[in-house]
Amino acid sequence: MNKRQWIQTRRPHWTQFEKLLQMHSGRTGSFKPKANEISTFSRLLRELSNDLSIVRTRSWGIEIESYLNHLVGQGHTQFYSAPPGHLALFVEYLSVGFPQLFRANVGYFVVAAILFFLPGAVSWAVIQNNPSLAGRIISSQVQDQFDTMYGESDENESPTQRGFGEDRAVMAGFYVQHNVGIALDCFARGVLLGVGTAYTLLFNGISIGAVGGYIVSQGHSERFLSFVVSHGSFELTAIAVAGGAGLMLGNALLHPGQRTRFEALRVRGLEAVQIACGAAAMLVVAAFIEAFWSPSGVPVALKYIVGTMLWALVFLYLSMSGRNK
Amino acid sequence: MWRCDLRFATHKSSNEGDSGMNRSMSKAPREVPHIGLDLHVETPENVLLAYQLAGPSVRSIAYLLDLIIRVAFMWVLTFFLTPLQVFFPGTTMGFLFVVWFLNGWGYYVACEGFFKGKSFGKHVMGLRVIQEGGYPITFWPSVLRNFVRAADGMPFFLSGVGFTTMLLSKNLQRLGDLAARTVVITERPVVLPEEPIILEKITPLERDVLGGFVPDEKTFSAIEHFLGRRNVVSHGRGHQLASILAGKLADRLNYSGDALQVREYPMAFLARIYVTFLERRDDDHDRHEAYRPSRVQPTSAAGNSR
Repeated sequence: MNKRQWIQTRRPHWTQFEKLLQMHSGRTGSFKPKANEISTFSRLLRELSNDLSIVRTRSWGIEIESYLNHLVGQGHTQFYSAPPGHLALFVEYLSVGFPQLFRANVGYFVVAAILFFLPGAVSWAVIQNNPSLAGRIISSQVQDQFDTMYGESDENESPTQRGFGEDRAVMAGFYVQHNVGIALDCFARGVLLGVGTAYTLLFNGISIGAVGGYIVSQGHSERFLSFVVSHGSFELTAIAVAGGAGLMLGNALLHPGQRTRFEALRVRGLEAVQIACGAAAMLVVAAFIEAFWSPSGVPVALKYIVGTMLWALVFLYLSMSGRNK
Repeated sequence: MWRCDLRFATHKSSNEGDSGMNRSMSKAPREVPHIGLDLHVETPENVLLAYQLAGPSVRSIAYLLDLIIRVAFMWVLTFFLTPLQVFFPGTTMGFLFVVWFLNGWGYYVACEGFFKGKSFGKHVMGLRVIQEGGYPITFWPSVLRNFVRAADGMPFFLSGVGFTTMLLSKNLQRLGDLAARTVVITERPVVLPEEPIILEKITPLERDVLGGFVPDEKTFSAIEHFLGRRNVVSHGRGHQLASILAGKLADRLNYSGDALQVREYPMAFLARIYVTFLERRDDDHDRHEAYRPSRVQPTSAAGNSR
């Protein structure tokens, strides 16, 4: 059979396949054909694959080859697309998948936590004992800001005042945008051999420690500590979690084990990104606690109690959730 | 254009000596390594699919388009929320912050999820993200490749880590692509072209001026291809190019007709050869009623198919 006759006999099948493709490839719609269409589609896909091989082996020209290649490619995309996700998967991910993955890779978290908390504790201790050093890390304007924020004369914090709820809502949005952004940056930079993550962790650890040390040294410890104790549970842990995920990326490139470097990055990257997203979810929780609960006017003792419970909750969540699944 | 040239070089070299024309063109080494912007994927149906990879320049343009869309979206949203700010200044601002965050970190994931691997910029540039295996992209790889975007964008948005790795990696992947096992391909809708030559207007050659030799299918494909694209070059250049093949074919066919035509109008000569054998092959098929490779003695003028 020569090329022209072959095309004439095969062409109806191709147009039929094209029609099937068009019917089910609305730009957003997923592939939901009827039962008899599925069998037709699958048969045609195999037929067209065969046609493509024939055209290749007989060198019947680039046009017909690329036409069939395009059709088979489209069919391949449709036929092997993943089933659509749903909300239950998201809930399961947060309650089971994320904590499990976290525990499986807890070593990275420990390293990240050391990189984050240790320099933080050191800078806190140093600056609390010698506040004159604070200027090396925090500029004097920012120091003044902290003085007024945590100063005793501050009366804006009263929840009975009209603007309170509105102010808090701005901060909630800001904390989501800012803190989650930092955590995800911290994760993403891990791909640069972990250097970016380590830098971000050290930088944030040192500056947060310096701020804490400075504020406590100025005598605002009560207000400051009762403010940070609640959301700190989710926030500080989540930054270390995201940092750990970033270190996973970097370590995959540095110590790939039996795989090639990029192969290791692919395998561990898929786990790392799921851990990083869990950290992002924790930071969203932290943002709302920080915005609405932490600055509220409830007694300091109650804040400490709730704060302690939240730390315990974070610990239980990461260590226990999804353990029996 | 260069793509088909490359293909000819590789295919010809693989079975040299098939005909006179092939022998003359098979100066390339037997195994030509694959170079080009194609990604080859073997499907479960045992066929190699070729995808054309997208290079850094189109992807940069797509990125800029997306950036414009994202910034414009924030502006428009802020503008329309201005009345709300009178009553709920804080809530509106907080909402805008959240949208800003989602816009920054979630735009690509949402687009790739809902529009089958395309953001708006990619759609305009005809690009699509797929997995290395040719499968459509799924959720977590999409999240991974777009989070790592933050590292790829260092130190500047478009020139940096991602751009460099794109140039260095085999499949033009930035770090995010490498980590998530994805590639960006160029998609062009292709239509099956109609017969490129108006066959009715060309008179076939007389049978008695040709010998028994029948050129192979590849030669006819080459002629068809060449004639289909003859408008790409000037008329004179087209004849010049065609004369190489026309001369060889005339020799090989023992063409005893008008020698002037071979020299002066080789394109027309090629077209006439094409038409002649097209009909002959059709006749042949009608007689045998099936594709059957057979070799009849070369002196018989009609009953000769490859």
